[in-house]
Amino acid sequence: MNGTTTIEEFKEAVLDPAKRRHYQLAWLSTVDHKRIGVLYMLTGLVFFIVGGVEALFIRLQLAVPNNHLLHPDTFNKLFTLHGTTMIFLVAMPLLFGFVNYVLPLQIGARDMAFPRLNAFGFWCQPFGGILLHFSILAGGAPAVGWFSYAPLSETPYSSTPGIDYWAIAIFVLGLGTISFAVNTITTVISCRGPGMTMRRLPLFTWMNFINSFLILIALPVLNAGLAMLLIDRQLEGHFFLPFRGGSAVLWQHIFWAFGHPEVYIVVLPAFGMISEMIPVFSRKPIFGYEFVAASTVAIVVLSSLVWGHHMFTVGMGRPMDLFFIITSMLIAIPTGVKVLNWSATMFGGRVRFDVPMLFCIAFLIQFTFAGLTGVSHASAALDWQTKNSYYLVGHFHFVFVGAIVFAMLGALPYWFPKMSGRMMSESLGRWTFWLWVIGFNMTFIIQHVLGLYGMPRRIFTYPDIPGWGWMNMLSTIGVFFMSAGSLVLLWNVAHSLFRGRVAGDNPWNAWTLEWATTSPPPHENFVALPPIHSRRPLWDLANPERPDPVVGDDQVVLPNHNTTGILAFLFSEVGFFGTLILAYLYFYAHPQAGPSARELDVPRTLVFSVCLFASSFTFWRSEVALRKQHRGSMLAWLGLTIVLGAIFLGGQANEYWKLFQSGVDLSTNMFSTSFFTLTGFHGLHVLIGLIVLLIFLWAAWEGDSVSSKFDSAFKSVGYYWHFVDVVWVFVLLTVYILPLMR
Amino acid sequence: MTTYQFFTTAWTWNSIVLIVSALAAVGYFFTFGRRGKPLYFAAALIAFLLAFVSPFSALANGYLFSAHMVQHILLVLVVPALLLLSLPRSFSLSSPLTHPLIGWIAGVGAMWLWHAPTLCNAAATSRAVSVIQTTSLLLMGSLFWWQVLAPSEEQRLSPPAGIIYLFTACTACSVLGIILTFAPVSICKVYEHPVDRLGILSTIRGDWGLTSDRDQQIGGLLMWVPMCAIYAAAILAQMARWHSSPQPKQSNA
Repeated sequence: MNGTTTIEEFKEAVLDPAKRRHYQLAWLSTVDHKRIGVLYMLTGLVFFIVGGVEALFIRLQLAVPNNHLLHPDTFNKLFTLHGTTMIFLVAMPLLFGFVNYVLPLQIGARDMAFPRLNAFGFWCQPFGGILLHFSILAGGAPAVGWFSYAPLSETPYSSTPGIDYWAIAIFVLGLGTISFAVNTITTVISCRGPGMTMRRLPLFTWMNFINSFLILIALPVLNAGLAMLLIDRQLEGHFFLPFRGGSAVLWQHIFWAFGHPEVYIVVLPAFGMISEMIPVFSRKPIFGYEFVAASTVAIVVLSSLVWGHHMFTVGMGRPMDLFFIITSMLIAIPTGVKVLNWSATMFGGRVRFDVPMLFCIAFLIQFTFAGLTGVSHASAALDWQTKNSYYLVGHFHFVFVGAIVFAMLGALPYWFPKMSGRMMSESLGRWTFWLWVIGFNMTFIIQHVLGLYGMPRRIFTYPDIPGWGWMNMLSTIGVFFMSAGSLVLLWNVAHSLFRGRVAGDNPWNAWTLEWATTSPPPHENFVALPPIHSRRPLWDLANPERPDPVVGDDQVVLPNHNTTGILAFLFSEVGFFGTLILAYLYFYAHPQAGPSARELDVPRTLVFSVCLFASSFTFWRSEVALRKQHRGSMLAWLGLTIVLGAIFLGGQANEYWKLFQSGVDLSTNMFSTSFFTLTGFHGLHVLIGLIVLLIFLWAAWEGDSVSSKFDSAFKSVGYYWHFVDVVWVFVLLTVYILPLMR
Repeated sequence: MTTYQFFTTAWTWNSIVLIVSALAAVGYFFTFGRRGKPLYFAAALIAFLLAFVSPFSALANGYLFSAHMVQHILLVLVVPALLLLSLPRSFSLSSPLTHPLIGWIAGVGAMWLWHAPTLCNAAATSRAVSVIQTTSLLLMGSLFWWQVLAPSEEQRLSPPAGIIYLFTACTACSVLGIILTFAPVSICKVYEHPVDRLGILSTIRGDWGLTSDRDQQIGGLLMWVPMCAIYAAAILAQMARWHSSPQPKQSNA
């Protein structure tokens, strides 16, 4: 589909069966980053409608006091689905769609580093979304809120399979997100065009690059928590069941250790969009590139240290409250730096008020407001009063809608010309803008006031208290403005796709590389790249007499993408195993009656451990033999590695068998729950490693071992295998050696 | 003893510490003279004295785990960093100890090793172990910071590598901080039931409200949060270094 679409072409494609089949296949089996980007956005759009309708029902129910439009239980299900959908199935796919489409273009890459992994990551999204909503048919949607607090989420209190669907869906979405982050990091590190050094990256690319690390830090923690929750529900574990010795607060720690970074995971791509648009529409380079870039890094580091401010009301004790208050207030600094930089970029520029810029300005004002109410939550004393009130609801909707959705509503008309080759309508865009600004502020500003008046969140109806009725009604009316704005937007997209003004390569006179190619870009993205010496290559091209100052030298180092990718993946595994090990230690420190770590057979485990550690050595020998082209000895060492790994697994199976024989299984007590979970997941990793090694053995046997591709893939598998061994070092120390030191 | 009395009288005028500081100051000025950066050196010396002479030292000496943690952070992260910053640009070292891996292990090990219950107790009760601890902390801290603060640019890690180095060290220490914060048992038994040599214990437990588990929680939080803030500041410094690295001479094509 090169060039712009016309209605005749479209009709032909839909009506002619042969062509229809061609397009179906071309889109459903695509591994092209541009098409996957569009698919991501379409998925996000579909779920945006789903989540939006859910929100509409919530607001209709709350419009008047003592309303009985919805059953209380239905209301609980609706807000659970609404929250989960909007965060995991709307914000993330939409943002990732933009990243998928734009990021490779901005760095002059041909595609993402791993196109098929990219397709996998995308297909996890609709799969997860369908799983989540299938729970409605399968006996009851989850009704526990988007953070699914234990013990309410445990079997004794939520016996329908809704929570299981919820947990599996989020797990699947998490896998997709992690693969997306691995892909993004590898693309930026290994696939940049000539001259595109790391210091010259456009801010959208830089922020998503850094953000991908945050994804790799945060998502695995959630996945570990979800695995524990599923073990509780399906295998009768009791990680989060207080009456069996588990800890409900542990779930909160795990969830918010993910949950707070998650806010930044969705807001940083939005920051990236704003950082691209404001300079272009102010006709000035970004003010203080270095500060915007470095403050992103600061946000990533700090955001992993603030999750406790979601838990002030749990009773963590004064010392913990105090430290989390300080870090939460600190994180306002790098965020504030960004707002100042964006404002300073506009200052003194020739600001053009096109639709994308209108959304940027609304973003700036609304995000600043959201930040201020955010800082107020950092104070524990205030938080105790406003937590679980509509003040909080107003605050986070200002972040998610007022900042993130507005950034995307601006980014869509900004990049739509690149994607379709046609401009979106300015006048319809202004209608969308004003409907959204009025509707959004009408709905959510008043909710802050409602919260301060004492209206709690998550109530399905409320008595006729003076003031509450009209404020809620006002809030509900705002939703209709936003709905109308969305309908105008949908019409605008559909209409502009066929009838919009033809855009040309660079309709906004922007300066980053995506505007250097045709609209839409050809399959291979670029015919030729312009020379790159600064952060605005197209400015330099258009203004050869006064180019931007050269940034750094032109030398671009591109590490192998296989090894970069596997290292990024292993980085995510650290968080997963780290969470499991810390959970194990937590329950180790609170011993219960029944089996304990002291009854484990340490000498036998040591023998099997030596086998596993030795397999790292034999793998290294195999690599050396491969480098020297000794096929025979390479096969022998690889075979030995597999045998040693299998012995280790056999030992673990034997240990499990003996424990089962003596009546110890996962549900016996907290020790057995956490022990089987930790060692089981490690064993699973060894098993996967063994399967991969067998595939390599087979490939080498067949004689595929001579290509350089095989070399780097083999090296990557090696990293995985060594990593699994290193994890065992820590498991061995915590589970087997620690009790000996008592 | 009231709080006021304590803070006015509990200064430990330890002769060894004072002599070592004086010798170090004299040695510094004889070796580097005006080539060094004496302000950094003075700051290092003040931090060192803060750790050993001020009332913090008296508290760390068997009373409060959190005060011990302040001392620990000063000795591993603050004093060595300031010392390295005080060295003249020309100063260089060529030793196998300046390998990044060694530096990382030294920096993280200084945190983990000395908080193993046995070692932590031994350092708080035995004078000799305490001296070994102090020396090793300063040494390990210097090895750690060498990778990012070595006087000459060539001996430092590149800024992106430096960021990874600092971030992973920060994570490894945070994990220990988290464990200490949530540990239900006393890691350093000495601090659970202090020997009340100064007659201050009732003030600490009563007026200050520092029970032994709350004290350990604060200690863990100190290792977790302010220490990470130090690493975060160093990471930002690496970003600044990266973006200010020299421009090439070639012209713009």
